[in-house]
Amino acid sequence: MEIESQLVVLCIEAACRSKESIEKWRRQRRTLERMPSVLADALLHRLLHRRLLFPSLLEVFKNSVEDVDLRGENAVDAEWMAYLGAFRYLRSLKLADCYRINSSALWPLVGLTRLKEVDLSRCVKVTDVGIRHLTFISTLEVLRLSGTSPTEDGIMLLSSLRELSVLELGDLPVTDRVLSSLQVLRKLKHLDLWGSQITNKGVSLLKNFPKLSYLSLAWTGVTLFPNMPSIEYLNLSNCTIDTALEGDGYKAPLAKLILAGTKIQNEADMFSWIGSSSISYLDVSNSSLVDFSFLSEMEALEHLNLSSSMMGDDSIEWICCIGANLRSLNLSKTRVTSAGISKLAEHVPRLEVLSLSHTLITDASISFLGMMSSLKAIDLSSTKVKGFIRQEGAEPNEIASLLSLLSLNSLESLKLEHTQVDDAALMPLSNMKELSHLSLRSASLTDTALHHLSKLSKLTHLGLQDAVLTDKGVGSFKPPGALKVLDLSDCWLLTVDTLVSFCGRHPLIEVKHEHLRTSSSARTGSGSSRSPSSSSRRSQGYRKQARRPATSLPVSRYFIDQRLKYNREEMLAMQYQPMCLLTTQEMEAAVSYMQSN
Amino acid sequence: MTEMRKEDTVKLISAEGFEFVINKEAAMVSQTIRNMLTSPGSFAEAQHGEVTFPEISTTILEKICQYFHWSLQYASGKETEFPIEPELTLELMMAANYLHT
Repeated sequence: MEIESQLVVLCIEAACRSKESIEKWRRQRRTLERMPSVLADALLHRLLHRRLLFPSLLEVFKNSVEDVDLRGENAVDAEWMAYLGAFRYLRSLKLADCYRINSSALWPLVGLTRLKEVDLSRCVKVTDVGIRHLTFISTLEVLRLSGTSPTEDGIMLLSSLRELSVLELGDLPVTDRVLSSLQVLRKLKHLDLWGSQITNKGVSLLKNFPKLSYLSLAWTGVTLFPNMPSIEYLNLSNCTIDTALEGDGYKAPLAKLILAGTKIQNEADMFSWIGSSSISYLDVSNSSLVDFSFLSEMEALEHLNLSSSMMGDDSIEWICCIGANLRSLNLSKTRVTSAGISKLAEHVPRLEVLSLSHTLITDASISFLGMMSSLKAIDLSSTKVKGFIRQEGAEPNEIASLLSLLSLNSLESLKLEHTQVDDAALMPLSNMKELSHLSLRSASLTDTALHHLSKLSKLTHLGLQDAVLTDKGVGSFKPPGALKVLDLSDCWLLTVDTLVSFCGRHPLIEVKHEHLRTSSSARTGSGSSRSPSSSSRRSQGYRKQARRPATSLPVSRYFIDQRLKYNREEMLAMQYQPMCLLTTQEMEAAVSYMQSN
Repeated sequence: MTEMRKEDTVKLISAEGFEFVINKEAAMVSQTIRNMLTSPGSFAEAQHGEVTFPEISTTILEKICQYFHWSLQYASGKETEFPIEPELTLELMMAANYLHT
């Protein structure tokens, strides 16, 4: 839960400042016991993020904390668990990716009477013994075990946890026999069986879970489509589906259907098993589908992912049919061309997010994008877009194609990476007042582009990777006031001095470049140790960092690469003085070597 | 400083009975106190301009009053740090949570 009170945030920061400050409050036992769980939870997690939490300190929270999230914490081991086992009010414990957690480490949890959620995803040392411990926690409602190491028999033990409503068993040896024994879990709503050994026989057992609404059978050998009356979310990615479960004419009332990478043997039948009219999210990326006529019935569709599918201009009419409610559409890596986009333009009045990356789209399509008035984000990376349209006629001339995007008043994000768009073509962008994210990775751009973009007052993220920017260009660049991130990676002409002095002048902008890698990580380190609530202090922190003379950079004493030591001008000046870097001793050695030859 | 008029001030009383008379505007930094003082008629606090906090000690209430003033200054652009002694953090945190400040 997010803490809103400003003073509470300041107190938590003050409490977590150092080991010494912890010692000042950790013995206030009675206060700690009275502490509302919202505050105790926030304090515990702040200590964790500040790397100040250690097992014996956990003890002070045993009468207050309800939710503990230790996901990905490498240090968490049996000793931590011993203390957590004393947390009387513990309701949720997340230990995903804590690789030191083994079966016996789970034993202390057995006595907890309020524990409802345990996440052990990818704790590979948890085996049948651990599962047996968990079965004593009869209050469990949510259990995530994907990627742990139980056997079939171990998983079958879970059938005693009758309160379970969410069960994740991905990548486990769940067979039809196991699933059969789990049928007693009548409250199950969410079942994840990705990568399991379930077969079609097992799928028919799924009918016995009356409340099941979320089901994942991704990466299994199942070929039956589970059309059950309760299912709302279904993931069949990377399966091969040929027929439907013998049903009573049920149509699954799906809201979200994932068929990414799915092979569909009998396309014509496939969508007759689904209550198509309820689907709002459909992912058929990388699937084998050829005929897209099924789309025509999916009137409620809001999110459609057709990336790397067989979709092309000839099938685009099916998207037009259901375009009225579409919010996001991914057509990347398809055969769609400008001709297809021209058909689509009038039929997607609510489309906000459109990806056309890695398609053969040209500048001709941009005028049609300009007609999709709700667009907020467009991805045109790796397309044939050049930024100019050649007008034939008596006096052939070129017009900037990106001008058409000016009609999109809500456009916030534009990606044009790996295109041939050059400085001149980018001119129209300087009038897009709402743009906040702009990615322009391209070797055709120079300082001129940078200066066009300084007018974009709402720009927060700017990427100009690979561009031919010079020290002079960056030196005179006046960044927009809102800019937070400036990515100049692979702008190979830039020198450390220029980048450091730019950071010094603009302490609130995070600049990304190879030369800054070490110093910027140091900066984020110190930034996170400061109060996130007071921006003024943080900015002072940045300023202090940035004002450090260049000598405090990691290159100060030992130069690994001479290019770090000298700036470009100095390097150029030096190239005709081959001996100047040698010491007197080396010089003598070199002279004697030449003489001896 | 000019004499504060009574209707512009509010009296905050700690668990031990110690009284802090502070500017009403400052006290309103706390959403809880604001509700007590502005909700029509229902609270006796609104009429007498007095609020008693039987759960908040004098030390903590004093710190809270300091915070109210700091917060107003901060909002008007005077960006200084608000120092909190580590031994007060827990009690102050709980009081701040109760006062929605």
